[in-house]
Amino acid sequence: MTPGYETGPTSDRQTSGLGFVGQRVKRVEDERFLIGKGNFVADLTPDGVHHAAFLRSPFAHARILSIDVTAAAALPGVTRVFTAAELNALTNPIPPFFMADGVYTPLYSCMSEDKVRHMGDPVALVLAESRYVAEDALELIEVDYEDLQPTATIDQGLDTSREQLWELADGNVLADTSFEFGDVDKTFADADRIITRTFECPRQTNQPMETRGCIVLVDPDSGHLELHNTSQAPHFLKWAIAALLVNDGAVRNLSTFLRNKERRKAFSSASKEFLKTNIDKLKSSDPAGQKAQLSKDKSMLRHQARMAMGLLAAEDYPTVKAGDIGGAFGSKGSVAREDIAVAAAAKATGLSVKWIEDRVENLLDGGQAREERFTVSMAVDEDGTFRGLKVDAVLDQGAYPAFPISGVATLLFWKVYMPGPYDFGAFQLNGKIVATNKGKVVPYRGPWANETFMRERMIDVVAAELGMDPGELRAKNVLREETMPAALLTGPTLDETMSVAKTLDHALSLIDNDQLARDKAAARERGHRLGLGIASYHEAAPGPPNFFESIQPGSDMFLYEDGRAEIQADGRIVMYTSQSPHGQSHQTTYKQVAADEFGVSMDDVEIVWGDTDRTQFSFLGTGGSRGGPLGAGVMRVTARELRRQVAAVAADMIEASPDDIEIVDGNIHVAGVPSRGIGYRAVAAKVARETGIADGPVFAESMKYEGVGNGGWSTATHVAWVDIDLETGMVEIPRYLVVEDCGPIINPGIVDGQVRGGVAQGIGAVFYERHHYDDDANLQSGTYMDYLIPTSMEIPDIEIEHLETLTAGENDARGVGEGGMIGAPAALTNAVSDALGVQVLEQYLPPHRLLELAGVIER
Amino acid sequence: MKNPPFNYHRPATLTEALDLLAAHGDDAKVLAGGQSLLPVMALRLGRPDHVVDIAAIDELKHIATASGALSLGAMVRHAQAETSPMVAEHAPVVAAALPHVGHRAIRNRGTVVGSIAHADAAAEMPAVCLTLGATLHLASATGTREIAAADFFLGFFTTAALPEELVTSVTFPPWSATSGGAVVEISRRHGDYAMCGLACAIDVADGVIESAALSFFGVASTPIRVAEAEAIVVGQRPSPALFAQAAEVVADVLSPDSDIHATANHRRQIAAVLTRRGLAQSADQIGIPV
Repeated sequence: MTPGYETGPTSDRQTSGLGFVGQRVKRVEDERFLIGKGNFVADLTPDGVHHAAFLRSPFAHARILSIDVTAAAALPGVTRVFTAAELNALTNPIPPFFMADGVYTPLYSCMSEDKVRHMGDPVALVLAESRYVAEDALELIEVDYEDLQPTATIDQGLDTSREQLWELADGNVLADTSFEFGDVDKTFADADRIITRTFECPRQTNQPMETRGCIVLVDPDSGHLELHNTSQAPHFLKWAIAALLVNDGAVRNLSTFLRNKERRKAFSSASKEFLKTNIDKLKSSDPAGQKAQLSKDKSMLRHQARMAMGLLAAEDYPTVKAGDIGGAFGSKGSVAREDIAVAAAAKATGLSVKWIEDRVENLLDGGQAREERFTVSMAVDEDGTFRGLKVDAVLDQGAYPAFPISGVATLLFWKVYMPGPYDFGAFQLNGKIVATNKGKVVPYRGPWANETFMRERMIDVVAAELGMDPGELRAKNVLREETMPAALLTGPTLDETMSVAKTLDHALSLIDNDQLARDKAAARERGHRLGLGIASYHEAAPGPPNFFESIQPGSDMFLYEDGRAEIQADGRIVMYTSQSPHGQSHQTTYKQVAADEFGVSMDDVEIVWGDTDRTQFSFLGTGGSRGGPLGAGVMRVTARELRRQVAAVAADMIEASPDDIEIVDGNIHVAGVPSRGIGYRAVAAKVARETGIADGPVFAESMKYEGVGNGGWSTATHVAWVDIDLETGMVEIPRYLVVEDCGPIINPGIVDGQVRGGVAQGIGAVFYERHHYDDDANLQSGTYMDYLIPTSMEIPDIEIEHLETLTAGENDARGVGEGGMIGAPAALTNAVSDALGVQVLEQYLPPHRLLELAGVIER
Repeated sequence: MKNPPFNYHRPATLTEALDLLAAHGDDAKVLAGGQSLLPVMALRLGRPDHVVDIAAIDELKHIATASGALSLGAMVRHAQAETSPMVAEHAPVVAAALPHVGHRAIRNRGTVVGSIAHADAAAEMPAVCLTLGATLHLASATGTREIAAADFFLGFFTTAALPEELVTSVTFPPWSATSGGAVVEISRRHGDYAMCGLACAIDVADGVIESAALSFFGVASTPIRVAEAEAIVVGQRPSPALFAQAAEVVADVLSPDSDIHATANHRRQIAAVLTRRGLAQSADQIGIPV
């Protein structure tokens, strides 16, 4: 395979009839990134901005007895010091978002005033003339802590005798849920064998190149806030800041509300409208989850009511702007406690404030992931037929549930994904969440990914027990199009895009078993061991319409994407997306799609993102592998509709039928007669003259897009060849193969980049990256000397085969951002197991662990 | 991650620098390449009141030889030494170590003597000094003195240099055609500090090893020579069996710590492997394939 970006058009001119979609077009973002002209939050330092720094807890678990900020406040250059209590009084607690039966999500505030629950927990905020002075001031704040017993591990989290993180919880187990599909007891009783193993996945951290950051500007006249933020979901941040900052006390809120007729009327009509359109959804939503939450925390309703009242005033909403973002991998979809604190501080002081998270802060609490344990039982027949699957899973959420997507969401995804693309007759998940004194868990590229690790690893264990070839065992049990049921056991509809079987068959055909045997022998000669591992998975990207219903009833806000297209009076074509790009090349991809629809060059299309005043609401922003299927989809249909409008006017101008119109290189003409054409600018100018619009859109179209047909699955099979030096434990990956199917590809270079990046993080997960906490919950990997991210030196060439299954839909692209990360840990650990002849039960395998497993050194 | 305030000095001459160190003593730190000092200050783990930047002092920038001995001034950056034909010729073990030092960007600024004076027990240069029997040249406002590498490294980030002293240069003794040496290490990733590394050198006369030096790094509070293993090979002809025997002794003698990157057992295992690999490479260098 050709590595990305080496081939393809170097000019952005359209070559008639070919178009840009499907071509390896160079990324339009790269130039500004590579020459330092990106528009990142840290690049912006408005005049008079005050720099913020947080005092963070050095302890994992402690009570705060007192805090004295006098000396810090007196330091020259310091503008203001806020204690946690002061900021919490200005903000509302952060409410639970996902609720499920058996789940308790603690309410918490943006700062910690009574006790700290992890190293890095924020307890005070300093505003100063520079970040240097702010950090000097932090050292002058005196906090008196009283140590509490920390909870550092899953085992400690399950131990009910330990000190609780949350008063209202039962011990430190925040969720104890169970889901069952099919008759599990009968299936297990009838099967020939039941094989059980426990798999451990240690903690990782999402590590984007850019840390989090926020600048809050305050309009001196109106008090309106403008946030420049690294958010993946600027609209959700805007909503959250409005909701969490309005805290004038319930009575005052209520009286303002009652006195304001407009707001009362708006509230009542909005409520009626909401009930009318959502009555079915409300009926199907999960009141048990609400009840469970309320039985623990009755203050939730009070906070929600207070927030709802605050929401009613349009002036409470800030503007959020996200420019260029240096990666996130899921970590910037959460609303940071720091974002709330900084906004509250700006609002309270009327000063503009800048907070740029540094790497130490980011490693402490920028977002952590995937510390999970799975006890898996598979019921199988002697001939290798999969019968049933039972999983007891525990997720270590850290100290605070991320907002809005906490660990509960992962449990709900597991409930749907765990049986994978295989034909199981019954499935049961018992899922627990434990709170520990560690940084918070956030979604990380394929947040549910360990279900693939534990299932695909388990399949190899079963293959070994039954004496079968792991590839053949998969091929025997994978759901095939010809025998595919209408829906997965766990709910979502299936169609031809669930093409795991095709990826598996093709991958198996690319493995030369004779060569493998020779390579294994040659490795043995050199004192090495070589092994091969396979892993297959499917991912709803965006998934069928009932996918999110299967996850949690009432979550259909994830199903669609809004978009807008405009042609300005001066002829510029402007596309507005609600996505928040942070490395995925939306700008390039959407230009390709829109330019093809309009028949113009990519340069003629401008893409606007990240500004909540200019783009439409989106709960998720960029996340969930939706940017290709839904984000590009809405660009395409919106552009197409706008083109129709333009073509109609142009046809009139050149006295032709709109049906005969063709547009090539911006020239609107009758097919076959380009010489008598007319340009976009001329059409726009005519409409501008006639309507008197001098500046602004003369054509505009807003649309909602729900995907096509069944929405579609993204699938892949990974095959890893791993070579281990038995003297040192050092690993090489002589070959890595991905056979993937994300439907028709918009830009192969970008898809290849997504696959490679994901696989690189999977390689990191297995061989390099572990976020270590010691048994007292002290972070051990607090800098990049100790949290090891693989570099290009550690990542092999990755072969990629694209299958591109088509459906009847018109924008049939399916998501590909997460898959690489989902498949790689399983393929790699399966390869290690094959190489060493032992069944690996853990995901993280540093060199010393490999030598222990190989019996070379003692543990 | 911003450093606390400090007073910055950039003397133009060695005398000025030494006067500053005399005046501020314990409150001053010398800044050469800044690859260790600046992160320490940014993390507020170190907070010198005075930083004496020696980058402008021309007297500290030499790469020179005298009677076969190579001398590197305190401002010679790793990258300069790495690309210097003089270093390659007169101190091939130093040259062999340099590509292992961090990444290129670090070597572009970091200095050889700075790395020695910083005395990180996991770094390459201190071990190389120990193996080659290097001499450190120190100066203060009141005079100069020389310290053998064997007496210089006292503990974690601790050396025999006094607060008012500057390490002005390092001298490596002449290298002969009968000498072979190697620097081998195993690190988690390319460019990381080694989980364990070895700087070794042997002298061979008439096919027999006359002297040997094995200095390990990353396994103790200072670079550490394993005399027991050196004794095994001296007086013997190089052979795989001999080197394996030395390796076993190394694994026995060392008592490294465990950390999140490697267990003590793993470090011992690597030390043994590196002993075999390093000695074989050294022998190979003088035309004795093992």
